[in-house]
Amino acid sequence: MNLSTLRPLFRPLGSPQFRTPNLLHRSAQTTPRPTNAPSPTSPFSTTTRLQKRSKGAKNTTDPRITQIRYHLQHPLTPRPLRLSRLRSLRHWTIHRAWLLFLRKRRWAEERDLERQYESMRAACEHLRLLDDQGMRVSDTEGGGQGPDAGRLGTRGREVGRLYRGAMLKRGVWGSVPVEYARTQTDFPGREGWNVGWTRQV
Amino acid sequence: MPSVKPSFWQINACVRCVRQPASVHGAPVRLLSSSSTAREELQTQPPPPPPVPAPAATASAPNDSNAATAENPEYMKKWGTLDPSSVVFKRDERRLLRREGLQPVGSRRRRALLRRSANTPDIPFEQLPYQCFQEARKILLEDRQEKLKQIETQTLRLKNLIAQDPAVSGGQAAKEARMRSMRNYINELVILADINDPVVKKKFEDGQGDMNKPIYRHLASLKWRKYKRLVLEQRISQMNIVPDLLPALDLAADIDLGFGRKNIPPGEFVDSEMSESMPRLNVQCFEAGEKLVSVVVVDADVPVPEQDGFTYRCQFIASNILISPTQTSIPLIRIDQDDNKITDPAAKRIVLPWQAPLAQRGAPYHRLAVIVLEQKDAKALNVLDVKRTRRHGFILRSFVDKHQLKPLTATLFRTQWDDNMAGVMERAGMESMINVELKRKRLEPLPHKRRTERMR
Repeated sequence: MNLSTLRPLFRPLGSPQFRTPNLLHRSAQTTPRPTNAPSPTSPFSTTTRLQKRSKGAKNTTDPRITQIRYHLQHPLTPRPLRLSRLRSLRHWTIHRAWLLFLRKRRWAEERDLERQYESMRAACEHLRLLDDQGMRVSDTEGGGQGPDAGRLGTRGREVGRLYRGAMLKRGVWGSVPVEYARTQTDFPGREGWNVGWTRQV
Repeated sequence: MPSVKPSFWQINACVRCVRQPASVHGAPVRLLSSSSTAREELQTQPPPPPPVPAPAATASAPNDSNAATAENPEYMKKWGTLDPSSVVFKRDERRLLRREGLQPVGSRRRRALLRRSANTPDIPFEQLPYQCFQEARKILLEDRQEKLKQIETQTLRLKNLIAQDPAVSGGQAAKEARMRSMRNYINELVILADINDPVVKKKFEDGQGDMNKPIYRHLASLKWRKYKRLVLEQRISQMNIVPDLLPALDLAADIDLGFGRKNIPPGEFVDSEMSESMPRLNVQCFEAGEKLVSVVVVDADVPVPEQDGFTYRCQFIASNILISPTQTSIPLIRIDQDDNKITDPAAKRIVLPWQAPLAQRGAPYHRLAVIVLEQKDAKALNVLDVKRTRRHGFILRSFVDKHQLKPLTATLFRTQWDDNMAGVMERAGMESMINVELKRKRLEPLPHKRRTERMR
């Protein structure tokens, strides 16, 4: 902001306020003063105060006051721009293009997530129908779906064993998902952790 | 004495003072104003003095001065062509005034703009050299190409589906459902292809959109639905047209009503003399294709004093009127005139002629609903059949069911007793109604309830 607008313009040098209070000045006064009259007080600040201009309209307010009020009143939202017709059409075009760009990017991200999800689902499905020889079996021989999802298929325990193990999602420490602690292996063991292992002496 | 070229600063004349002395003969001209300054200037202002020195002036001065008044002197010729509609500099404006005696046309800013646009070629809006704008246009054009490709594939699929055997598609109903949804999708794509085009938007806003094209119909429909339709719906519901005359009314077309030159907003009171003649309607529908419509005007508040209630009366029916997105006007008076020329009564379009809306003194206002009904499959109604409908006690719901009509849109106006109503009644042949004043039946006041009873 241009601070020169706030700088005072009219500071007369000969004004009484300009004169600094002086003890010598006071002691030079010989005439006795009545006790009722208040003693002349010196202004607190030595900065010269603005005088009224002799000429000019008396109705004008100090521009500093208007500036302060204007800036104190400033709302959060700026006042609306007024654009000409063609300018506003160009603005509209750019806005539509930007929104289209964002939409395309959003859809691409969603498609990517969907692709990842589908690939995970296909992997789990394959695992569900995997028997102990590593061959994929038909749907009826693998359990895990239909009206009674907990039931095993016709081939029994071996089909989908690794799937059932992978679907155990109990927490490790509180609610930390077990996948964070489980390392990926090609041939996970059947027993897992042998609690009763002791060192062979 | 060498001639002094008169400077422009010295000349303070108004146009009239300049123009008149520019006559060929240089004859003194009578001025309208008798102020001395004007006269002085007229006298001092010479037909431009000859630049020839004095000795030669005696012989050649008369010729020269004559020549000078007839055509401009040398220095004036050097000014070039001055066109009142394209002078821009103050100097040129003064010269124009001086030489031709003409004022420039329009404001200086306008002249400058026109001159600039005449010198530089006018760039069409979509080629304006703003980088961000052009980049945005590029993106939108790419999107448009994608949409066009999609439209192509979808139309091909639709064609194949139509050609498919219903047994393969899973039954006739499933096939039709699929066809319907495919058509809807193609329509959506067609609109999406053009919706981002600023030229289309500009054309529509200027009112130059061709209503035969789906994108302009779509934009017009959006604009209508944003405000005008809401107002119309509000008026119709607050005047209770909907439960009284029709069970439901889904407004599907924009309608404007006017009597004579005046356009009437929905629900406004219309002077009886104005409504004595037929109104003019403008119905803008937003679906492609032509429709045949019927217009029915019903008075919903005809008082029946014997039964202490109200009944309906049909004021007007017109049928088989052709409407399309580009043909929106229904000038009923002109249709009536055309009908008078047609001899075959079955080909006439006005079925029940217009009866002036009447309202007796003391009665509350009458609501007159103007309802536009779509005829089924754009089939013409049998006019002679419809002519037999009774006016008094006319039930619109039965009429609609009987002739298989579908309400397209509606509007309404109101009428009440005013100064011209007596004259209208006389001309309509209902003199018996003029001196009748309806009054409300005085009800016995209820017995005064004791204070404690009221507070329970």
